[in-house]
Amino acid sequence: MTYERIRLAENIGLSEIIDSKFKTGVLEIDFITPLSSEKASQNASAICSINMTNSKYPSITEFSSKLNSLYGSNIFSKVNRISDFQINSIGASWLDSKYALEGEDIETETVKILLDCIFSPDIKDNAFNQNVFEIAKKDIQAKIDSEINNKRGYAVRQASKIAFRGEPAENNSYGTSETLKEVTSESAYSALQNLVINSQIEISYVSAQKNDKIRKILSDVFGKLKRNGNTYKFISFSPIKPSPEEFTETLDVNQSKMVLVFKTKKDDKYAMKMLSALYGETPFSKLFANVREKMSLCYYCSSSFSRAKNCIFVDCGVETKNIETARNAIIGQLDEIISGNFSDEDMQNVLLALENSFSGIGDTAGSYINWYKSAVYEGEYLTPEQTLEKYRNVTRDRIIECAKSLVLDTVYVMKSKEE
Amino acid sequence: MEKEILKSRTDDSCIHVKHPSGLDIYICEMEGFSTVEALFGTKYGSVNTMFKTKADKEYTTVPEGIAHFLEHKLFENEDCDVFDLYAKTGANANAFTSFDKTCYLFSCSKNYKESLAILLDFVQKPYFTPESVAKEQGIIGQEIKMCDDNPNWRVFFNLLNCLYHNHPVKIDIAGTVESIAEIDSDLLYKCYNTFYNLNNMVLSIAGNIKADEVLEICDKYLKPCEDKGLETVFPDEPDSIVKNEIVENQPVGNPLFNIGYKCTPENGYERLKATVKADLAGSLLADSSSEFYQRLISDGIINSSFDFECFCGDGYFSLIFSGEVKNPFRVRDEILAEFERIKSEGIDENLFRNIKKLSYGKLIRELNNVEEVANIMINSHMDGVSPYAEAEILAEVTSGDVLDFIKTELLPEKLAISVVKNGENE
Repeated sequence: MTYERIRLAENIGLSEIIDSKFKTGVLEIDFITPLSSEKASQNASAICSINMTNSKYPSITEFSSKLNSLYGSNIFSKVNRISDFQINSIGASWLDSKYALEGEDIETETVKILLDCIFSPDIKDNAFNQNVFEIAKKDIQAKIDSEINNKRGYAVRQASKIAFRGEPAENNSYGTSETLKEVTSESAYSALQNLVINSQIEISYVSAQKNDKIRKILSDVFGKLKRNGNTYKFISFSPIKPSPEEFTETLDVNQSKMVLVFKTKKDDKYAMKMLSALYGETPFSKLFANVREKMSLCYYCSSSFSRAKNCIFVDCGVETKNIETARNAIIGQLDEIISGNFSDEDMQNVLLALENSFSGIGDTAGSYINWYKSAVYEGEYLTPEQTLEKYRNVTRDRIIECAKSLVLDTVYVMKSKEE
Repeated sequence: MEKEILKSRTDDSCIHVKHPSGLDIYICEMEGFSTVEALFGTKYGSVNTMFKTKADKEYTTVPEGIAHFLEHKLFENEDCDVFDLYAKTGANANAFTSFDKTCYLFSCSKNYKESLAILLDFVQKPYFTPESVAKEQGIIGQEIKMCDDNPNWRVFFNLLNCLYHNHPVKIDIAGTVESIAEIDSDLLYKCYNTFYNLNNMVLSIAGNIKADEVLEICDKYLKPCEDKGLETVFPDEPDSIVKNEIVENQPVGNPLFNIGYKCTPENGYERLKATVKADLAGSLLADSSSEFYQRLISDGIINSSFDFECFCGDGYFSLIFSGEVKNPFRVRDEILAEFERIKSEGIDENLFRNIKKLSYGKLIRELNNVEEVANIMINSHMDGVSPYAEAEILAEVTSGDVLDFIKTELLPEKLAISVVKNGENE
């Protein structure tokens, strides 16, 4: 495997990963911009309007037929939130050209189609093709509407909104139904142009073999852009509320959900991650072993650490009658860690789990991309082995100090109507 | 020990071993990969509620959800929790029960031999007590409640209840709070001793491994089993469907739908052939390169959530379309009309050719992923086919074969729709 990071232009970085074991290739282009309630829907509509057609293939049927003829090459868009930023991504994946039955250059053809989607979309009078734009807009509306379908995810998002109120991170990456209504095919196209000129652009390319043709195409296209792009800092600790904010929502559900958000001012990301793993990220963690297994209070009860906002989320599914008991038990398990009630063996087991997960990075294109993107976002370019060394150096005392520093900031409860 | 090397037309290969213990073992060494995925599974799922061995005179009927219950309980050893053992190797362990199988699995990139030893050992050492069974009833009861809040789960099982009169596929994999209350440790041992016989099980392991090392661990940990002549039976299932529509209210955004055709169940290689034909038939409508898809999405009748799957196993086979749209009944009418049009006008050859290319690309991609390879090997064995048979069938299938499938299997009178919508918005 080889990894190379290249600067294509002002604030445009290319991470090139070549690994001969792959039978497929991926190119992903992220347009990164501060998340705002005003622009979220505009940007999302822009990025979702360019993955179905381009000026060379202006109908969905022609566009998809061409991709299918390339053995199922795929062009995709996605919109995510990382910290206070909106990541608007468009990408392509394809089968390595050596598997083409009729000698097609699958990789080059697919990359050209993708770049045409961005730089030569199907537009008329400075607006996206109305039909395609409407499809994208309805799709985004459906995504906003269906947030509630996944009750666990919905509960975590509601807790995030409360925990990050007043920060860009409180916004939905797609915006709201209200902001989406304001978007027109003209304004969405204008948003695309704005993203190309003003966003930070991160490109990830994974392929089985080095292909100078691809790097030249990318350099030519992105190198000639006149840019005003910024380079952003992704780490932005969320301020701690003076007292915990509690919010209960009643829904027609069978199982209640509870999300607790703990924040800290302590800046020790490796110890915080170890703490979260010990607390609730593994089957041998305090929350799983005690709150779920021993006390049978929750079907699921786990924690996760957000480095960018420096907080720990705990979420669980619980019977309504047990909400208060579960809350006390969850906080009680944190107190156990504060009291030092975990063994060196527990820490060793966390390290083993991390080592196992880091050693597997590179078995899929997606895992490479995520690893190197995280490095960009965190501004720290370490190999998995170097990162593991940082974890090995974490001491019990650092974990205990992190646990002591946590402050309960937000409690969200989704309560069942029935009970 | 019988050992054979299986090869695909895409240059992939794996080893199949019939171990003296009775276990079928599939091993795929994948050069350049760091991870290992291992599944140890039994051909025992939620549909296997009636069974007997050659020693039994009568069939035994067990409560719904017992296969899943057994899966949960097997994670507790006599002296410790299995997760505590895996914690010492760093592997990520899990298990799942589906309609027709129960699998115990781990993924890791270090210490795979130690993790494999744990996997083979604990699955062969059941330990159930009345106390631990009672505790699990509470945990699984919560899981059932959680699944009841999942509209995708509800819309799917509601459809199966429209399609199937008697087949246990229509019953939730976890059973019900009432059915799992009937489970006790004696019943669990009865099911364990019947289905967790190595002659009814498979080990599938792929990734950064060496076949010799895997077999050495198998030799050490597998306890020879006598083939008990297991027979499972299903109640008679009529060809017809139960009813053609069902609607449930839940707090959701857009209504969710499942639209399914009940088809003729098949076994082994014939089932795989039918699956390939059903997949191609579904793609004729759901692939974005079809005129049908373009028209429906442009008119706002569907959105990008529109998809389909071929759902099949012992005694059941259906082609199911799904999505989240404003008017699911309009989608049903459009699907019906389009398949009727294809029956009279035939299949667009250009579309068919490109969809076949798409499927070929998908197969190659799957075989480049450690987790997928391990799953393909275990699934294909349990279905009675080679892991690489699908590529062979795909190469040979014609548009005429698919048209025949559409004409004979996708019949309007065997179509049902299930909808979950938000009653509060009415």
